[in-house]
Amino acid sequence: MKIVVCIKQVPGTTDAKIDPETKRIVREGVQAILNPFDTYAVEEAVKLRNKYGGEVITLSMGPPKAENILRESISVGADKAILLSDRAFGGSDTWATSYALAKAIEKIGGVDLVICGKQAIDGDTAQVGPGIAAHLEWMQATYVMAVDDLSPGSITVRRMHEDGYDICEMSLPAVITVVKGINIPRVPTLRGRLASENVEVPVWKPADIGADETKIGLDGSPTRVVKTNPPPPRHTSTKIIEGSSEQCAKDLFRELRLRSIL
Amino acid sequence: MEHHIRNKIYHVEILPPKQATEKLHEDLDSFVEKFNRVRESGYCACITDNAMGLLAFQGTEVIEEMKLKVNPEQVMIHLNTFHTKEDLDNILGTCIATGIKYLLVISGDGSDRLPKLQPSDIGAKGVESVTSVELLQYIRREYPGKFVMGVAFNPYEPEEHEFAKMNRKMDAGATFIITQPIIEKNVIVDKLLETYPDVPVIIEAWMSKKLHLLSDAVGYEIPEDTEFDPIATLGLLHRLYPKCGVYLSLLGFKYQYDKITGLWNKSLS
Repeated sequence: MKIVVCIKQVPGTTDAKIDPETKRIVREGVQAILNPFDTYAVEEAVKLRNKYGGEVITLSMGPPKAENILRESISVGADKAILLSDRAFGGSDTWATSYALAKAIEKIGGVDLVICGKQAIDGDTAQVGPGIAAHLEWMQATYVMAVDDLSPGSITVRRMHEDGYDICEMSLPAVITVVKGINIPRVPTLRGRLASENVEVPVWKPADIGADETKIGLDGSPTRVVKTNPPPPRHTSTKIIEGSSEQCAKDLFRELRLRSIL
Repeated sequence: MEHHIRNKIYHVEILPPKQATEKLHEDLDSFVEKFNRVRESGYCACITDNAMGLLAFQGTEVIEEMKLKVNPEQVMIHLNTFHTKEDLDNILGTCIATGIKYLLVISGDGSDRLPKLQPSDIGAKGVESVTSVELLQYIRREYPGKFVMGVAFNPYEPEEHEFAKMNRKMDAGATFIITQPIIEKNVIVDKLLETYPDVPVIIEAWMSKKLHLLSDAVGYEIPEDTEFDPIATLGLLHRLYPKCGVYLSLLGFKYQYDKITGLWNKSLS
């Protein structure tokens, strides 16, 4: 079973700034992290590999420093990592990005399953996973909350929706995007972290994956961001619960239930 | 643990490198330097377990990976309930393999990134979640005679509740107690000593000058500009609690470490 996990480096902040001219997220000077949703994708791939055998390859498109998140994926169990990095990829929207990733997956060859996080926390589009499936013309399931079975020819997943979940059986190869909660991602061991430092991460350019350069980068991206606005500030408030300890506990319990926290 | 107190062996807290560090090798070198310094001083190195819920590498794996020499009397690891069963057994297995016998068993501070042991994982019945009590019971049952286990005591929690919990911890196999930091005479700690006269108690001394960082632990706001002399306070604690051991948290290895040499004896003379 060959599993490819597509991962993305994102700004590790909730206070993202938008460049007013390019309408893109300002990434300079902001700590870069592995997209949190992708950690679930990597963990699921590693679990499936451990259960069914095979290998896990992580794949990312981004600047050279995106190599860090690929090494992080190695430290938690991925077998190999590949980075797509070239100026020609710069400015790619979700369609061009998924095209490039699909071409890389074709080049890897023999891939049975592609796993993505349900979305990246910077763009929040949730389009790249489905885009890869579209480019590859593979089956896909989004919002996967559990993988029930994986066999050489098929996969059975639970696909979350507002009222519950669907059980979907798909033929392989296929693409799935996974939600938070499908697992608890492991934290790297020191040994894994140290080993990841010595792993070679190949860098592929458009020619390496046979990409049509008119389909990548800004020119290959049909999306045009016309205007961006910061979200309205969140309003927070403090509620003080008074009374006896027993009453306070009851009230707190009720408040938490009302907010669906419990 | 009695002989640690009798021989005035400090328990020195050491934090392993954080997972998020971008200078891992530098941090590992720093850990090794501190660990060896504590060992050479004859003290006991106490290694935290994802303290404050901040993800860090496990003390056991750092010791193993950096091939650190373990004197069983000079190493204690904190062990909390935020592990998978597999990781828990790996940690305990590494402890046995490297000769670590002292454990400080605590419930611990969680984080979204950390798995929590479930009662079914460790065969705990009749409870909804795993606390230090269930973890103690598990270790005592599955690793009989392998470890000397201590537990934490928080004098800032509601007294009745904390003492009831301490009873359960003792029943579960704890043989020594380490308190939360105190900076002066504490009547609840006094009561602890009266309640458990035969159990070695180690009081935690706060060695950071930033006393306000204790606010969360004590449950009230300590102003940021509060003046605090950790070394003088440590001397005071020795005089107030001559029968207790001392756990030094956030000890500065650069400027404070040399100042604690001989301080215990000097304070009592």
